[in-house]
Amino acid sequence: MMETDDIDPLAAEYVLGTLDAAARGQVAARRAREPDLDAAIRAWELRLAPLVDLIPVVPPPAGLRDAILTRVSGQSQGGPTNNVVHLEQRLGRWRTLAIAASALAASLAGVVVYREALRTAPATSYVAVLQKDPQSPAFLMTVDIDKKTFTVAPVSAPKPAGKSYELWLVSEKLGPPKSLGLVENAGFTVGPKLASFAQTDIREATYAVSLEPEGGSPTGAPTGPVVYAGKLVQAKP
Amino acid sequence: MLQSVADIQALLVRVAAKDSAAFATLYDATSAKLYGVILRILRRREVADEVLQEVYVKIWERAADFDGGRASPITWMATIARNRAFDEIRKKVPSSIEDSPEALDVASSDPHPLQALELNDELRRLSACLERLEPQRKEIVLLAYLQGASREELSQRFGHPVATIKTWIHRSLAQLKACLTP
Repeated sequence: MMETDDIDPLAAEYVLGTLDAAARGQVAARRAREPDLDAAIRAWELRLAPLVDLIPVVPPPAGLRDAILTRVSGQSQGGPTNNVVHLEQRLGRWRTLAIAASALAASLAGVVVYREALRTAPATSYVAVLQKDPQSPAFLMTVDIDKKTFTVAPVSAPKPAGKSYELWLVSEKLGPPKSLGLVENAGFTVGPKLASFAQTDIREATYAVSLEPEGGSPTGAPTGPVVYAGKLVQAKP
Repeated sequence: MLQSVADIQALLVRVAAKDSAAFATLYDATSAKLYGVILRILRRREVADEVLQEVYVKIWERAADFDGGRASPITWMATIARNRAFDEIRKKVPSSIEDSPEALDVASSDPHPLQALELNDELRRLSACLERLEPQRKEIVLLAYLQGASREELSQRFGHPVATIKTWIHRSLAQLKACLTP
């Protein structure tokens, strides 16, 4: 057990927010098994909490309310209504587990979908999990390299109202990102738009999803933030 | 907007029992506050929108953990929101195509918040202790806590090495703690 003298500055900075990602992760992991550290963090949370009163309220976009209530009601009605909701629930439960592995294996939810995709995949299939981080897979993309077609299935991709998700092929070799069209966060999106790319370029590219104005980027280049991204791996040897 | 502490506490108890009507009421009562907290740290609405969703799902899942004897319900919820927002902003985004220049704009200076408001007792005590810090150090604490400034951003803004900023932060917080401890 560490001395309080060592614990306290760490707890204080954790609550203040100035620790970097690695240190934050360590503290979060340690507090689960170090009651002293946990107590120090809680004490600092209370000490600084009055400052929250200084922050002006900002009403969130109206669409968020429904999105959140929908996510939660899927859990309260005692049973998932569809696969996506089901995966979202599992994702919520698994999010706290530390899982170290490759980008694909890192996400249990990703793996569930990934396995599902593998069952029916032809040998020329490639798969990418488009995600923000390993705990949050958003879309599963499968590509048939021979036919140069792709399918995008949503895993868990809450979409702000009035926005569209747009899929991009990003390759240093090819210059600016190439739009592959919009992808939906409900239902499958099937796209033939890879026909103009060489097989190696398709295989080596990064696939990114950006948040664009409704109907897609007005400029032909990504205008919004890239919210999810991933690279292809071969689905079968 | 915000209901009384007792009301929100009662809502949380019902939410712990998976009462989705209570959850909707809780959302209506508190979302603008939490969104304000998150947006101020994350600065980008698209990111804040998603984080807010995750925060409320977490509140739904964890409402049973809320202990009214330890913290006020809003403090408890704001802590969840701040933790999630800081996890997000400290995380290095591996594959953004375009840089987001607006993301690092810590320098946008709000009017000094401490002078602007009617303060409740707790805040009055804390702010009295903050006022005892050197002005720059007080500002560092506020920029970090309220706006998510990292050590690096603070280093750039104040023109001191990161190590100095870190030392200042540690000293300021120790000083605050001593000042607040009866």
